[in-house]
Amino acid sequence: MLRLHFRGRWATALAVLTVAFTAGGCDAGGADDDAATIGRPPPSNGPQIRIGAKNFTEQRILGELYSRALRAKGFDVVLKLDIGSSEIIHRALARGSLDMYPEYIGVLLSEVAEVRRRPRSTTAAYEVAKAYEKKHGFTLLAQTPFSDSNALGVKPQFAARHRLRTIGDLAKLKRVVRIGALAEFATRYEGLVGLREVYDLRGLKVVSVASEGRYRALAQGDVDVASVFTTEGQLAGDDHVVLADPQGLFASGHVAPIVSAKLLAAHGPSLQEAIDAVTQALTTAAMRQMNASVDLAGRRPADVAAAFLRARGLV
Amino acid sequence: MVRRSLRTQITTRVVALSVAASLLLGTALVVLIVAVTGQRDAARTAFRSQQALSLANQLEKSLLSIESGLNRYVATEQASFLIAVRRELAAYPSRTQQLSRLVSNEPGQQRRTRAIGESITDYDDLWASVLIDVARDDFGKARSQVQTNGGRARLDAIRRQFSRLFQRERAVIRARERSAEQRSARAIGLGAGGLGLLIVIAIGFTLYLRRSLLAPVRTVADATGRLATGDLSTRVPDERADELGELARGFNSMADALERGRDQLERANAELTRSNAELEQFASVTSHDLQAPLTTISMYAELLERRRGSRGPSDQDLELVDGIRDATQQARGLIRDLLEYSRAGRGRLDLEQVPAGRIIEQALEALAGAIQNSGAEVTVSGELPVVLADRANLSRVFQNLVGNATKFCGDQAPRVRIEAERDHDDWRFSVRDNGIGLDSEHAERIFEPFQRLHGEEDYPGTGIGLAVCERIVVQHGGRIWVSSSPGAGSTFHFTLPVVPSSTAVPPRVPERV
Repeated sequence: MLRLHFRGRWATALAVLTVAFTAGGCDAGGADDDAATIGRPPPSNGPQIRIGAKNFTEQRILGELYSRALRAKGFDVVLKLDIGSSEIIHRALARGSLDMYPEYIGVLLSEVAEVRRRPRSTTAAYEVAKAYEKKHGFTLLAQTPFSDSNALGVKPQFAARHRLRTIGDLAKLKRVVRIGALAEFATRYEGLVGLREVYDLRGLKVVSVASEGRYRALAQGDVDVASVFTTEGQLAGDDHVVLADPQGLFASGHVAPIVSAKLLAAHGPSLQEAIDAVTQALTTAAMRQMNASVDLAGRRPADVAAAFLRARGLV
Repeated sequence: MVRRSLRTQITTRVVALSVAASLLLGTALVVLIVAVTGQRDAARTAFRSQQALSLANQLEKSLLSIESGLNRYVATEQASFLIAVRRELAAYPSRTQQLSRLVSNEPGQQRRTRAIGESITDYDDLWASVLIDVARDDFGKARSQVQTNGGRARLDAIRRQFSRLFQRERAVIRARERSAEQRSARAIGLGAGGLGLLIVIAIGFTLYLRRSLLAPVRTVADATGRLATGDLSTRVPDERADELGELARGFNSMADALERGRDQLERANAELTRSNAELEQFASVTSHDLQAPLTTISMYAELLERRRGSRGPSDQDLELVDGIRDATQQARGLIRDLLEYSRAGRGRLDLEQVPAGRIIEQALEALAGAIQNSGAEVTVSGELPVVLADRANLSRVFQNLVGNATKFCGDQAPRVRIEAERDHDDWRFSVRDNGIGLDSEHAERIFEPFQRLHGEEDYPGTGIGLAVCERIVVQHGGRIWVSSSPGAGSTFHFTLPVVPSSTAVPPRVPERV
């Protein structure tokens, strides 16, 4: 009994020590709160699709729409947002940094293909653009029902005071007209270059502002005219007047995705079908509503796009 | 089985304690090593993170210089600015890879580093290289693109990513350092605790040894000491069931055996003493009682001789009477010697410090007749000491030895020489003669009572003299022996202990008698 007691005592002491030391040796490693994995459907067999979008609201929404719809169909998609204007993003596509991006037909013709002659119709414009892309190894897929062309917007009071109705009326102002626009406006045909060439306007000055700052600059009187896009939510009410473009400087505002022909071939018709399904759903009303959700209601482009796709059964 | 396990109890305890102490020490060491390793790892991580930070800084600067190089190229249209830009652009993939190796091995950080790498790639693929392409075609367009701040925006975003990376990296370093410090503090605490516990165990072990092992061992040792000094009744407590209990039981049974042996010896001794005394008594009584009839016999022989005159026995009768008288004489001598032997070495010695020369003188006086008859020449030479002895007994020794010397003398006149010399703690006396000597094989036998080497008719005597000498010498604490060879004389030696303060006294006996 004495012996058992003796052993028991030491066994207890050793156990206590062992536990203490083990506890001491344990490292309280911090849990990593950054680790997150996003559940995705099984990737398709084809190569990854790198989708680009330019650096303004509508493009962000479009980028999200196409990316999410394709992901939902099992494609491996990576979305590159906020790439610069057409001059930059088309080059990036051309040099293989991207596989696809949605482009405005008019801008594509005037700024990328450098077609100066204004096409007679949107269909004609589309065909010219498509041919251009095909020549360079890209496929211009179906264009959207909506058209978001470039335009010049002014405040109604300003229009009334100077009796402005068309772009050409800007010539009536006997002073420098300040145009709030993205920086590339200054070098674009569908911009300062075309305004001078087609409407023979002189005394125009481009004030470079970010996309989000154009309407504010106009409201604050920092600029006289704003370079606007016709599907923008801000144009929905009576706060702005869009100047008419009788000379057709601002060509087709329809959007069509430009996709690498090689990629299309690699994925087969399912890719094109998935892209076309999104394109066809994009009416003017739908696009304007989505733009307004972001620009006026402050929602995130990704959420807006996701909600739209869900509503249309595209995801 | 039970006995076996009891036997190993102390061993088990000692082994268990040792194992416990070793385990404790080992665990303490392991914990300390882990702590030190942790500190070292933390230091390494911190160093690597510092390197990562500085590399990230370089990357950031490099990006800025790309951007400003691009801007200058676009603004000045000078291709020379492109060289540096292209060089920097070519270098960043390896730098981001290096960065990913250097930042802490934490999923979040690795993900951030990957994201930075992707952002930089995007900056190149979607901005810098594209802008260069644009500029090659149309510097005007490129300039307007620069004004869109597309590159600047990307750079700002990348710098924000860098700053998040830095923040997190610093936090990681701090957390690791803190954790390593805490761990090492804890380890030191635990190590110290372990060592303290070890010390406690060692002290406890020592106390246990003292109480449980040393004390019983000391008890046994003390008991052994008492046993050695003769206390055979000593016993130790032997209730313990372990090895020490076994030792105690062994000791006790040894003491039992010793005590039994001693009792037996004492009994045997008493028996011996008693039978000895009886024997002595018997010899004494017998000798004494034998005297009386002998006296009567010799008296009747006398009367028979005296009656010769009146009736007169024949000459043959006289011869018979002579025979009776001789035999009676011989029997009387035997009885006297027997008595003397039985008395020698018995009873109390009347010890006194006496010059040996005086005793020799006394002995020679007693032997004066015999010496004269034999014509012997007795010499005492050298210094003779003062000895502690019974005067009459020691005189008897000299008488017997000198008497023998004059008796066993062969044809020539006996010459006897008495000497004494110091031999360590003894005085050695020697009595040398020129007599017939004896064979060395008889050197022991001659000291036994009634042992004779020669016939009664050659040398008269009962053969008791040397036995008496031996008894007396032994009783005085000495020993006696002879060195001799036939025809070459004999030398009898005996020793007496030196009297501590004795001083030699010159012999007062005459050189010649």
